[in-house]
Amino acid sequence: MVKEIRDDLKYTDSHEWIKVEEEKVIIGITDHAQSELTDIVFAELPVIGKEIKKGDELCVVESVKSVSEINSPISGKIINVNEKLEDNPEIINKKPYDEGWLVEIKIANIKEINDLLEPEEYKKLIE
Amino acid sequence: MIVKSPLHDIHEKLGAKFTEFSGFKMPIYYSSIKNEHITVRKKVGLFDVSHMSNIWIFGEDAEKLISLSTIEDASKIKNEMSQYTAILREDGTIIDDIIFMHLNDKYMMIPNAGMSEKITQWLRNIAKENNLAVNVNDVSRDYTILAIQGPESRNTLQKLTDTDLNKIGFFGCSYIEIAGRECIISHTGYTGELGFELQINNKEHPESLFNKIILEGNEYNIIPIGLGARDTLRLEKSFLLAGNEFKGGRTPLEALLNWAINWDHDFIGKESLIKQKEIGNYERLTNLICLENGIPRNGCEVQKDGLKVGIVTSGTLSPCLNKGIAMAYIKPEYRETHNVLDIIIRGKKIKAKVTKPPFVKKDWAILK
Repeated sequence: MVKEIRDDLKYTDSHEWIKVEEEKVIIGITDHAQSELTDIVFAELPVIGKEIKKGDELCVVESVKSVSEINSPISGKIINVNEKLEDNPEIINKKPYDEGWLVEIKIANIKEINDLLEPEEYKKLIE
Repeated sequence: MIVKSPLHDIHEKLGAKFTEFSGFKMPIYYSSIKNEHITVRKKVGLFDVSHMSNIWIFGEDAEKLISLSTIEDASKIKNEMSQYTAILREDGTIIDDIIFMHLNDKYMMIPNAGMSEKITQWLRNIAKENNLAVNVNDVSRDYTILAIQGPESRNTLQKLTDTDLNKIGFFGCSYIEIAGRECIISHTGYTGELGFELQINNKEHPESLFNKIILEGNEYNIIPIGLGARDTLRLEKSFLLAGNEFKGGRTPLEALLNWAINWDHDFIGKESLIKQKEIGNYERLTNLICLENGIPRNGCEVQKDGLKVGIVTSGTLSPCLNKGIAMAYIKPEYRETHNVLDIIIRGKKIKAKVTKPPFVKKDWAILK
């Protein structure tokens, strides 16, 4: 099955998507990532207000058998987390780009955005 | 070296995702672990478990060898019956848990994946030291093993044989013809559901048998099941997994296998077990069910009031209960039913209650 890649997002080689808005980014995992993990049964999200550096552990997503750490693609401050995931982590499987988002981060260093992958680059990566 | 199952090509065609397990490349899931798990509880599933080992034991002293090397007295196991038991070291710790089948003048032993050489050598040494007239033949690579498990497993398999499967009682075993192939069948499994296991010599074309069972099971919604669901199914029933529950040296008393010990015969490790029983103060395997969101995993520490009281050996999210469940070795004074302990998951304390095995009771699918 072909995995969805959206044109208005940026990506990482560890399969996160990043929606860049003016001063903040919204982060989630890609359709490809959710399909590889299957059956997401638990999401551990960070505390709002926490300062995070690029590459630090951002959250943990667990499927029945595996534990996956998601590292932050960007430095900044956590300003929002998707609380719906606490009771319904399977939304990540169903709507990875919409209701299945993970966190919002206030951008600390705008230059880091340049390191992210464009949709075309990410497409090549998962092909 | 990584060994592939004789059915590897079929699994690839079915779109399986693979994992490495004890030196074998086996399917971890085909569709999804949750879906496969629930299908076995409610309908029927087909597992390739060829990674398990097969050893033939035969000769005048075959029964003696099995009695001496396991916690079971083999003379009590009638023809066409199988038995779950364990092989111990002198110090009482478990080398492996096994099933052996009494098939006329021979016994087939089924040790765990990757254990065939070790167990074969171990048994041969015991035979030699005790001057026993017995042959021990590792035939693991000659056999494919299929497990068909779930409430509809008997109905599915019955379509492929003239033998009345109702006559094979729980833990019964015998030679049987299934779809024109000679197999060994046993009314056994690792899921806690109605089920059978088949040993098929690779000369008998197990790949087409696999396909036939899938075809005939179609009316009962059969699907192939990977090792992922095999693990969650067994954990919900508090069945042990050798690589987890015996790692680091655990005795059958610690692993709560008291019921499987036949004290009326001599076996290797018996003296050590008697001593451990007398001293008494040993950790025991304990069922824990989480009271908060969180999934315990192998190696998580268990605490009471900040003090370590045990360690998790197996943990998962229970697909039937939708809660975190774990088996853990816990100090005896902390394992009373309903006791609340903390499981440390990534530095956080998650409350969990001691509960009696199994986590998921019989007929869960019917009662639900």
